[in-house]
Amino acid sequence: MEYIQARGLRKTYGTTRAVDGIDLSVPAGQVVAILGPNGAGKTTLIEMMLGMRRPDSGEVRLFGERPDARTVKARVGAMLQDTDVPQALTVTEVVALVRRYYPRGLDVADVLRRADLTAKAGTRANQLSGGQRQRLSFAMAIVGDPDLLFLDEPTAALDIEARRAFWEQVRGYADRGVTVLFASHHMAEVEALADRVVVVHRGRVVADDTPGQVAASVVTRRIELVTDATQLRLEGLPGTVAVRRIGDAAGPVAGAAGRVAGAAGRVAGAAGRFEMDSTSPEEAIRELFGSGARVDRLVVADADMETAFLHLIGEGEVA
Amino acid sequence: MSPMSTPTVIETADRTAAEGSPSRPTGGPVGLLAAQVGAELRQMVRVPEYLVGIVGVPVILYAMFGLSNAGQRLPGGTDVGAMLVASFSAYAVVSLAIFTFGVDVAAERGRGWLRRLRCTPMPMWAYFAAKIAAALLLTVLIYVLVWALAIGAAGVPFEVGPAVRTLGALLVGTVAFAPMGFGLAFLARPKAAAAIGNLLFLPLSFVSGFFTSLSSLPQILRDVAPYLPTYHFGLLVWGGVAPAGDVQRFNGIDPGPAAPQLVWLAATFLLFGALAAWGYARDARRERE
Repeated sequence: MEYIQARGLRKTYGTTRAVDGIDLSVPAGQVVAILGPNGAGKTTLIEMMLGMRRPDSGEVRLFGERPDARTVKARVGAMLQDTDVPQALTVTEVVALVRRYYPRGLDVADVLRRADLTAKAGTRANQLSGGQRQRLSFAMAIVGDPDLLFLDEPTAALDIEARRAFWEQVRGYADRGVTVLFASHHMAEVEALADRVVVVHRGRVVADDTPGQVAASVVTRRIELVTDATQLRLEGLPGTVAVRRIGDAAGPVAGAAGRVAGAAGRVAGAAGRFEMDSTSPEEAIRELFGSGARVDRLVVADADMETAFLHLIGEGEVA
Repeated sequence: MSPMSTPTVIETADRTAAEGSPSRPTGGPVGLLAAQVGAELRQMVRVPEYLVGIVGVPVILYAMFGLSNAGQRLPGGTDVGAMLVASFSAYAVVSLAIFTFGVDVAAERGRGWLRRLRCTPMPMWAYFAAKIAAALLLTVLIYVLVWALAIGAAGVPFEVGPAVRTLGALLVGTVAFAPMGFGLAFLARPKAAAAIGNLLFLPLSFVSGFFTSLSSLPQILRDVAPYLPTYHFGLLVWGGVAPAGDVQRFNGIDPGPAAPQLVWLAATFLLFGALAAWGYARDARRERE
């Protein structure tokens, strides 16, 4: 069954077209990441799906019904940006109150444990840090035991450790069949969590596939090399999309973690370590060797999500 | 910060609560309302400056102006101290309407709490009903405290019948003026609500005779007063305490029968209710634009 069906969604604010004709269907049990830069239309898209914002045209159905139907709201949890809670209530009281709104609910203590808020159970909302507020927002989103969970930039205020733990929580929900749609611009978050990634840019979907396929759909490959060739020379190689100098020849490799292999050689002269995005790595390497340039370390890899993302939103040009 | 706990299968025993309507809140409407009222009262109690402003001020005003006049008798035998209990309690009711319903709701609206609530299956009537129910409880509390001071500090004679009639009038007023506050909450910008609330509150209280006898006001204010719902509310409240002659002696106005005053309060409720409903719908619509 399709839990989310959005057809032809459009939304304009003044002269800004926030969402420009988005179609999206999400079946039960899928974890979908809406990935896009700031201002891409992610929040507007989520708010339209939740029935909180009226599309200029197009329509949304959740579980086959209008999103503002009470029966739909009873099955949906939402973690929103820019909303606050009653400041004088404690964490436990806020979560227990929200639980009352739903026809079924989880045990409040269990929800606080899941949101890592047990230690803050008796703390008033106005004494919470930004990250703790975000986790309270997550607790409020899950306490109604939703079938469909919307998370808008859920880890924006979390540190790395809390962010990873949060991913585990969300993954746990997905494993038991909860459908999750989250907006993010953290590539690692998308790669760790999503079954599917929908890349949104300027209000349009520019890619919609599994994270692996989105990365693979980008024709560029990542070349990491240590060479005495100049950056200008590398930029002139066939198929070069972007070149980044990431250090000198003697320093530690600063490329994508763990992907650079081979002996740590030294290159004489003005050698440097580079990352290149190339649409035809074989041809580029052939020409580089043919030009007599010394190449001491060479790794060719598929583009990662970040490269794919930058490419898809048109920011992958030669640096 | 410690990491969140690792995921486990969530127990499904609680799903039995879903029996019945698929959108019915846990515990039903009564349970929901009770939880919402509890939350309102907790918030009120935990903000001391709020309690002092809403509950303390009428008591302090009575201590300042009521105790010194207690013991004086009106021709029908009513103690002026009892009339002033009614005056400052009526003042508190209007204060509750404007500040609890108006300024507080505007603040919650500004912080996005109402926006979040609209995402949940909670019917919004529960939110507004809980505010009114909490205000009714506060009205009773204020009335009891002012009476306690009147009896304890000045020996004002307490008669059950008039006291209950007055309390009834106060509770009617609390409900009648609630939509005035809700209207303020949704028609004013959240940051302007407190200033507008004060602009409304003080003139309404003065011109309706809660602070000083209407007969002592300038003629132009006395002419305006009968067009204010708070004026009719005051007459209804004083009429609960004392016979018409004493009310006229106390305030310079013949209160007349209670029915027109009740009609005024009903009309106030309906008029401001319609205005508040329109403001709420406009706010919800703007939020969706």
